[in-house]
This record gives sequence, structure tokens and C-alpha cells, in this order.
Amino acid sequence: MSAQKTRSWYVEKAFTLLIWMFLIGACILILVPLVFMFTASAMPARHILRLPYPWIPEGFYWPNFWSGLRGPEGTFIFIRNALNSLIVAGTVSFFTVILSSLTGYGLAKFQFRGRTLVFMLIMATMMIPFEAIMIPLYMVAMRMGLQDTYAGLILPFLANAFGVFLMRQYLITFPDEILDAARIDGASEPRIFARIVLPSSGPAIATLAILAFRSQWDSLLWPLLVIQSDEMKTIPLYITKFMAETHSDEGIMMAVAVMASIPMIVLFLTLSKYFVNTEGLTSGAKG
Amino acid sequence: MFVIPSLILFSAFSFFPIMNAFYESFFNRNLLSLRPPRFVGWDNYTYLFRSKDFWLSVQNTLIFTLGTFLPLLVFSLILAVFIMSISRFRRFFQMAFYSPAVLSSVVAALIWLLIFDPRGLANQGMNALLGTAGINYNWLSTTGMLRLSTIIVYFWKYIGYFTVIFVSGIGSIPDTLGEAALIDGANRWTLFWHVTFPLLKPTTMLVSIMTMIQCLKTFSTQYMFTSAGAPTRPINVITLNIYNTAIKDYRIGRATAMSILLFVVMFVFTWLQLRVSRTEDVSYT
Repeated sequence: MSAQKTRSWYVEKAFTLLIWMFLIGACILILVPLVFMFTASAMPARHILRLPYPWIPEGFYWPNFWSGLRGPEGTFIFIRNALNSLIVAGTVSFFTVILSSLTGYGLAKFQFRGRTLVFMLIMATMMIPFEAIMIPLYMVAMRMGLQDTYAGLILPFLANAFGVFLMRQYLITFPDEILDAARIDGASEPRIFARIVLPSSGPAIATLAILAFRSQWDSLLWPLLVIQSDEMKTIPLYITKFMAETHSDEGIMMAVAVMASIPMIVLFLTLSKYFVNTEGLTSGAKG
Repeated sequence: MFVIPSLILFSAFSFFPIMNAFYESFFNRNLLSLRPPRFVGWDNYTYLFRSKDFWLSVQNTLIFTLGTFLPLLVFSLILAVFIMSISRFRRFFQMAFYSPAVLSSVVAALIWLLIFDPRGLANQGMNALLGTAGINYNWLSTTGMLRLSTIIVYFWKYIGYFTVIFVSGIGSIPDTLGEAALIDGANRWTLFWHVTFPLLKPTTMLVSIMTMIQCLKTFSTQYMFTSAGAPTRPINVITLNIYNTAIKDYRIGRATAMSILLFVVMFVFTWLQLRVSRTEDVSYT
């Protein structure tokens, strides 16, 4: 009896050990490319190409970052492009939050004719993938004179069906008593929205804002279509152009990669709990 | 009142373009030509269905989608189950696995371009693993390897994301169920196969459809690899083909027809996703 017990205890321990080894192995494999990016950004190109790869940089090689900032033409266009990315991602994420919560609030808390129809229409746009309408959208943008402008980069992404859905689901559980109490106290509807509804939807707003910011920071296809001039380029476009023009210096390329990732890494380390909001993803279309 | 601004934006940037897309796909509009576009009926579609190039990109997209989706599903499920079966460092492992998703896809492609370099880490790693010396695995030049490379990049970037979704799926299963099964004499494997996995079915469905939708619209990795000099044909996926047809060949009508076909396929998947997420709630009774 006791012998059997110890045997199953050993099996259990061996099993746990295997699981740990698997997890640690997977962890190392997944982190290797990231470590490569950081270490290579601190090495001159001739060190990166050494065989085998020297994992520890001999000191920090600043010229990589300096050349990355200067750009191939020495115009420091990277800074302008990074600003563009910040402007576009920031604006889109700000207005997405405002518009989605307004619409979500309207759909969750007001009875009006055609409410279900409006909701269904908005949900239907979730079934239209951006990649399928980009060419017609591009024609629309050209006709509106939006090419090479911030408006061209920003406008198509302001109305976010997933955002509306998320905010509606979040606000539908918001207690009506609080809203009614505020109305009885004589608060106007916009005031109720700005002072009561918005401040109490913090987590949903944070999730949505980060989602919108990240997708814009990452966006390559749409800027490739609408942007022509170097001044209006965003970071992904800068990287593609940089790569095409100077695909010789690995150190500089990794330095640019690091600089392009810093804002996201900072966001991730500070607000990681809003990065994957599985509730928003899996909470179905209830109600 | 509250919904009007959104409705206007939705109309201008979602409804109008998709209607317009159906319309444009029947014309032979050329981006540079000054002649007014001529109505060509189904010509764009029949052209596409006869075009080898189009079918090649359908094939590429399917290979990429299946090749990415199956490993992603299996491994993210395994990782999630393993994470939930240890008692410490759960959060650390989740963060570590998720970290590649923080990078933008352009940066991810850039890193892997250097790793897949003939002198890069991929060859060094493979040679060390197989005990060979100095073999070049042609990550970025032969058809099969190039396809595999794009799949690896995508797998690496999204494995953590789906692991985290599975972890929260497993986390939402009440502990009492597992305990009851253990008291009844179930071992870990039977516990997983007969209790955890069936209860995860909705999450699995959701993850599968989401991955497939993501994979069908892959663009950045393929774009980066081809503009770094890799051959286009093996990884000319639908979105890349649409982009090149419209921007390099100026054939708007043809590109739009391709978009519509992509739209129809993805519409079905998205509809499925919404259906599945609606039936997401499992009752544990």
C-alpha cells in the first residue's frame, strides 16, 4: 500500500518536472528573438555576423541608435515619423473611446425606434474585414482629397464596431437607478455621460484605448496606400523604407526596431492587464 | 443623438466602401487611365477564376492559414494546460509567452529576417541541433522553407495571445469539477481529456475561428519578406496580391473583385465567430 503510494508520488514529481522543463524550454525559444533584438541593437554589424552569435555585447554601441535616428539621408525623419505614429495612434484611440462609449451608452440605456436595427447594422460592420474594403476605401479617400494627410490615416478607423459592442456590453449592466437619480437632481444628459458614465467605465475604456492604439501603431497596409511623402510616413513605413534602402547594417536595423517598440513595451509593462481582455472577447452578444 | 456621429462614420467608411466595392468589381477601372471605366459585367471574376496567379495566391493563403492555425491551436492549448497545472510563476510564463505580441508585425518580420539570414541564428540553431556544420537551410529562398518561415514568424507572434485566452478559459472552469474527478480516481490525462477539454470546446472554437480570420488577412510579414528580396510567388497571399494588383498594376476593378471574394470567405468565418461567441456560456451543472 505504502510502496504504491511512493511510486505514484515519484510519477507525479517526474510529471511536474517535465512540465516545468517544457515551459522553460518554450519560454527560452520564444524569448530568443527578443533577446537577439536587444543585444544586436547594441552591437556593431560586424559583431552580429560573427559565428556563433556573441550573445553579450562588448559595451553599448551607440552609433546604431544615432544612425537609426538620423536616417539614410541624415534628415532625422525618424523623429517626425515617430511623432506621426503617436499622433495618429493617440487621436484614433481617443476618439474611438469617446465615440464607442457614446454609441454604446445610447444603445444600452435609451429606448428609441430602430435601436435593434442600428445595433445589428453596427455589428454587421464587424463582418466586413478591413482588408476586403481597403481598395474601395482608398478610392473614397482619394476622392475626398485625403491622401497624404493625417485625416486620411485617422478618419477610417474612428468608428469601431468592436468598441461599440464592448462599451454596450459593459454599460448594459450599469445601474439605471444612478442615472435616474442624477436626472432627478437636474443633471443634463451630456453631463451625466461625462461625469457619471465615463468615469465609471475605466477598465473597458483602458482595454479599448490600448487595443485601438496598438492596432494603429502596428498598421502597415493602410498607410502604404494613402501616404506618399516621407514627412507623413508612420514608423512601420519608415522601417520598410529604411530596410529597402540600407539593408546592409543589421545593428542599425535592430536599433530602429528597439526604438519603434519602446512605447509598446512601456505600455505593456505598466498596463499589461488591459492588453488581453478576454472578457471583452468572449462575452457574447447577450441581451 | 448619442449614436448619430458613429452611424455617419460607419456609413462613410464601412457601408459605402463595401457597396462601392461590389459596384466597382464590375468595371475595368484603371488607376492611371483617364478613360471612364467601362462596365465589364462578370469579366473581372471570370478573369480571376481562370488566372493561375490568383489560384496560386489562394493556395498560398490556404497553406499559410492551415499551417499556422493547427500548430497555434495545439501548442497554445498545451502551454495553457501546463501553465495552469503549475502552482507558481503562472503570471510570469503568461507575460513571457505574450511578449512577442507586443511588438508590431513589421518589427517582428525585421527581427526574423536577420535570424533567417544565411549567417543568422536560424541556421546556427539548426546546425547545432542536427549536429551538422555550415549547412544553409535557405530559409528565405526555397519555396517550402520560405512558406515555413512566414508561418514561424506568425506562430511566434501569436502563440502567447492564444495561450492567455486558453488560460482564462481553463480558469473559468470551477475547481470543484477537477477535485470531484480526482476523488473519483481520475488521473491527469483522463481529467484533461474527459473534463477540461470538453468544457474548453467553446474557447477552442473561438480561438480556431479567430486564428483563421487573422491568418486569411496576413500581409505584413509577406510584404516585408518580399521587399527584403525574398521571391514573391511562394508567399504571394491574397492581401499581397490585392495590394500589388491595385498599386503596382493599377487594376482597381480586378483588385476589388479579389477583395469581394476575400470578403465573402471572411464574412462566413466572422459570422461563425459571432455565432460561437454567443453560445460561449457553458453551464457547469
